[in-house]
Amino acid sequence: MEHSKQTQYSSAEKKDTGDSSSVLNGHFDGKPPGAESGAHRPAASVMESWREERTRSVEDNEMSLPSLAEAYTTILRGLGEDPQRQGLLKTPWRAATAMQFFTKGYQEKIIDVLNDAIFDEDHDEMVIVKDIDMFSMCEHHLVPIFGRVHIGYLPNKRVLGLSKLARIVEIYSRRLQVQERLTKQIAVAITEALQPTGVGVVIEATHMCMVMRGVQKMNSKTVTSTMLGVFREDPKTRDEFLTLIRS
Amino acid sequence: MEYHHDSDMNEVGVLYKNMCIESKHNGLCTEEKGSKDSADSNKLTRIKNAYSTMLSELGEDVDREGLLLTPLRAAKAMHFFTKGYKESIADILNDAIFDENHNEMVIVKDIDLFSLCEHHMVPFFGKAHIAYLPNKKVVGLSKLARIVEIYSRRLQVQERLTKQIASAISEALEPAGVAVVIEAAHMCMVMRGVQKMNASTVTSVMLGAFNDDPQIRKEFLALTMKK
Repeated sequence: MEHSKQTQYSSAEKKDTGDSSSVLNGHFDGKPPGAESGAHRPAASVMESWREERTRSVEDNEMSLPSLAEAYTTILRGLGEDPQRQGLLKTPWRAATAMQFFTKGYQEKIIDVLNDAIFDEDHDEMVIVKDIDMFSMCEHHLVPIFGRVHIGYLPNKRVLGLSKLARIVEIYSRRLQVQERLTKQIAVAITEALQPTGVGVVIEATHMCMVMRGVQKMNSKTVTSTMLGVFREDPKTRDEFLTLIRS
Repeated sequence: MEYHHDSDMNEVGVLYKNMCIESKHNGLCTEEKGSKDSADSNKLTRIKNAYSTMLSELGEDVDREGLLLTPLRAAKAMHFFTKGYKESIADILNDAIFDENHNEMVIVKDIDLFSLCEHHMVPFFGKAHIAYLPNKKVVGLSKLARIVEIYSRRLQVQERLTKQIASAISEALEPAGVAVVIEAAHMCMVMRGVQKMNASTVTSVMLGAFNDDPQIRKEFLALTMKK
């Protein structure tokens, strides 16, 4: 148990020293900073941890709305549409506001959402919150991804308010994402907040970029998972988690 | 049952022609039809630049690896989602109308449909069910699905989409009746705003015999809306 906790947190500690081997939504693969290739990021870039800074504020949103709306007007014209027709008159503004909503995860910090809801409980059985609806945006095509997230963790003296698990999902999914990274970010956030014995996160999602265009496979689903701590080490724990989320 | 609907068909024909003009206004700019490749790629570049601006305004780091080619990919994706503007019914239908002495209902159901909400530019998707009562002319079945594609790959409003599909079939085949039902989930309602996950919107257009005769309509609905 002790050993597994240590392996889990060594990567977290490295992040806390500000080595910024990872940037906002950039590669998080838990490698030590030196091994990160191409890590020439500006000094102002963000640490990938649950104490990360917001890159956007509500005031920023208001200030960027006009240029976002203008970008959408350009897109409408480029597609051959007439931005002056009745149905499209306010579309640039609506679409810009919608896109800001779809990326509101950049405005939020885990620490705001979690700080109050960690409780000391002497519970060491698995806690699972499953079927959390998730909506994200594919960072490659800017097209929606949606699906369900299942989270399980084994508390180690500390438990988390249940809705906070769903709020963690919201913060990381309302961004331009890659499903693999999203899964990992959720798992790492819970790990850093609670230091549990283990965390498991499974996401099954449909990618509109695959369904609406490109290869156009209507029924395909992508499943990714991250298992940390005892969920990774102990096959029985993992099995129990996977069985319980299927039922 | 089949013949006194001619006057109705004429009205629909007029309606459809008006809609064609409207659809020119709707975006089929005449210059678009004659555009050369350079003009097209110009447009793509402009859309691409708009997406680059968008990414930085949203607070993202435009230079990170995952986002480097995103403006171009997003521009091409959006181009694909609106390819219906460049396609015309005549091109796809002309060969596939056949004379058949069949006057029973023909239904093609569960046609997957993907469109973009014209108010938020966010996808909506679902299924279309189409039925028609032939009047000496039948159409190749896949052409019904292609008609759906032409009209759905645009910035749309579900009501208008349903009507355009019905009118296109009416005009092309002059059948005794046409019925189109679309049920779709709107991401603008699911992912944002009121955020109702399971709501779905159903619109329908019934022309000719489907409008006049409740028995025919009932038969159509019974055959398509089975749960």
